[in-house]
Amino acid sequence: MSTQNAFLGIDVGSISTKAVIIDGNNTILAQEYIWTEGNPIGAVKKLLGLLEKQFDRKAWQITGVGATGSARRLVGAIVGATVVKNEITAHAVGTTTFHPEVRTILEIGGQDSKIILVENGIAVDYAMNTLCAAGTGAFLSSQARRLGIEVEDMGGYALQSTHPTLIAARCTVFAESDLVHKIQMGHPREDIIAGVCRAVASNYINNVGKGKRICSPVVFQGGVSKNVGVVRAFEDLLGCPVVVDENGHLMGAMGAAILAKRGLKRTVFDFSVENMEFVTRERNCGGCSNNCEVICVYRNGSLIDFWGNRCERGAVR
Amino acid sequence: MKQQRKVALPRYGEYNCALKYIVEQGFEAQCVLPPPLSRRTEDLGARNSPDLVCTPFKTTLGSMIEALEAGADTIIMVHGACRLNYFGELQEQILRDLGYSFEFINLSLYNTGKMRDLLKALKVINPRCSMVKAARALYDAAQMVEHLDDTTSFYYENCGFDPSGTYSKIYRNFIADMYDARNLSEIREAYRSANRAFADVKLEKPRDPIRIGIIGDYYTVMDPFSNLELEQKLADMGVEVHRLMNITNDMLRNSEKNKQASVRAFTEYSMGASSTTDIWQAQNFAERAFDGLIQVKSAFCMPETDIMPVLANLSRDYKIPVLYLTYDSQTSDVGLMTRLEAFYDMVDMRKKVAR
Repeated sequence: MSTQNAFLGIDVGSISTKAVIIDGNNTILAQEYIWTEGNPIGAVKKLLGLLEKQFDRKAWQITGVGATGSARRLVGAIVGATVVKNEITAHAVGTTTFHPEVRTILEIGGQDSKIILVENGIAVDYAMNTLCAAGTGAFLSSQARRLGIEVEDMGGYALQSTHPTLIAARCTVFAESDLVHKIQMGHPREDIIAGVCRAVASNYINNVGKGKRICSPVVFQGGVSKNVGVVRAFEDLLGCPVVVDENGHLMGAMGAAILAKRGLKRTVFDFSVENMEFVTRERNCGGCSNNCEVICVYRNGSLIDFWGNRCERGAVR
Repeated sequence: MKQQRKVALPRYGEYNCALKYIVEQGFEAQCVLPPPLSRRTEDLGARNSPDLVCTPFKTTLGSMIEALEAGADTIIMVHGACRLNYFGELQEQILRDLGYSFEFINLSLYNTGKMRDLLKALKVINPRCSMVKAARALYDAAQMVEHLDDTTSFYYENCGFDPSGTYSKIYRNFIADMYDARNLSEIREAYRSANRAFADVKLEKPRDPIRIGIIGDYYTVMDPFSNLELEQKLADMGVEVHRLMNITNDMLRNSEKNKQASVRAFTEYSMGASSTTDIWQAQNFAERAFDGLIQVKSAFCMPETDIMPVLANLSRDYKIPVLYLTYDSQTSDVGLMTRLEAFYDMVDMRKKVAR
């Protein structure tokens, strides 16, 4: 029996690293979701090891690799990706493939949040938070820690609340002091947690979603979509059902894999990177007063890629 | 004999060539060019500026310090229609507090729009110089600015479709010629020769290329260092980049006297500074069926922040996507590239479906 083509998509975000392997019909053959823990290279190696175990290498051969997420350039260089795409496009492609009728994609990740408006299966407008990461997954994680619960359990607590506490949502720092104040006043924990979830949703609507016409069907994804408290808050605020795909956390990786499938470049990927040594080094160019930070990536001691230089003078040879 | 003055204007795109011409050809003084803007300029500016002032204040202050270090003894600061009018006064005070001694020409004290008053302000450079000569140099410099803006617009509209890189060389040579020009015929000849050279390059341009219009605050949108070379980055993706905001269109050829009336559908009153002009330009791009709009603004720029809801309405009515970019003293352009790539992908897919 000959092998069939499969496609790998990797999405390396600030907090979590996701990967999927799909076949030609977008069926998931293997999937994994782990924490990045500030080490994108280590996370990708670990992830590939986990995927390899789930995957039948006799039946399938990976012929295209897509990388996305904030570490896409680095990871793309390491795995030899055929497509390196920004996470906004990857999410739009992934979601419109599985939800062709979608009109609005809400997405809240670890450090960023974005909104994508879709008409007839095509992204027509988008916005992404600038300069500030208020109301993203990182905020929820730190508040969960403050309240002594796991971030994964927040949604369950929030749903038990009947009177969510009002919490200032504009700025994470202000929200946090507001929250401490409300805790010390004696508000019950589930009300506080429901208030935090509501703050995340309303901050999103007032900030990233400002001026955007949010039409139904709405799909909500990114790590925060796993929090049912935030989902409920969005449904209340928007007055329409909010769909959360069970694979919503994998949509970026799915999009990257689909883009690799659509692309023309082909390469055989054989998991050998797991055993290679990758090192990144930062060097300051010093060619002019810009002093560009050039990042160099070495595989087993030899340079495979570099970036960060604004001009030819910073090129590494 | 008294020594020649050494005059400098903080870096502002490539417009420093026009000041150099006025100072050297009109006032027979010396012009000091501050070093190209760099991270050091921003650091110097940020260290000595109020924290929440907009980035152009910091950048121009940093450039003034670098000009003084380079030997300038006279600093010129321009005026504008927002708090830019107060920049000069505050920057002068900050520089004096830092211990520099210099002459400061604050053009906002002579903000009448009349040539006579501008000459009066600049006379400090060389009081004994002929005012007729100075006036002629101002006139020549205005032509230089027009040629510079024309060439810059043409360059960014086309350079993305020249795989050979010749366009970039021609443009750089042209800029160098503008800094070297000593009379009007040299200015005109450099302009003509750049145009001839552009015409000889074979472009690989599709029949219906992606066209993106750029609007934004007066400094950040025109200064490539401040906007992290937004125009070049977009052009390199294969986009026709259009920017109407430049000194020629806004000051020298400001024929559109009734911009406020033309944008009445979107806003009744002016929100100050470049707001009306920006809305007018956005409407102009939208009516010409551009594929996208990008608003470039410095963090804490009030007029540009105020027009965002207007742009959202315009975006909805004309079905044109708008990307809002806010710049602070960033050192990394990774975030910018993510947003630009996504914007490009979206505009590209929309266009393919429309065809």
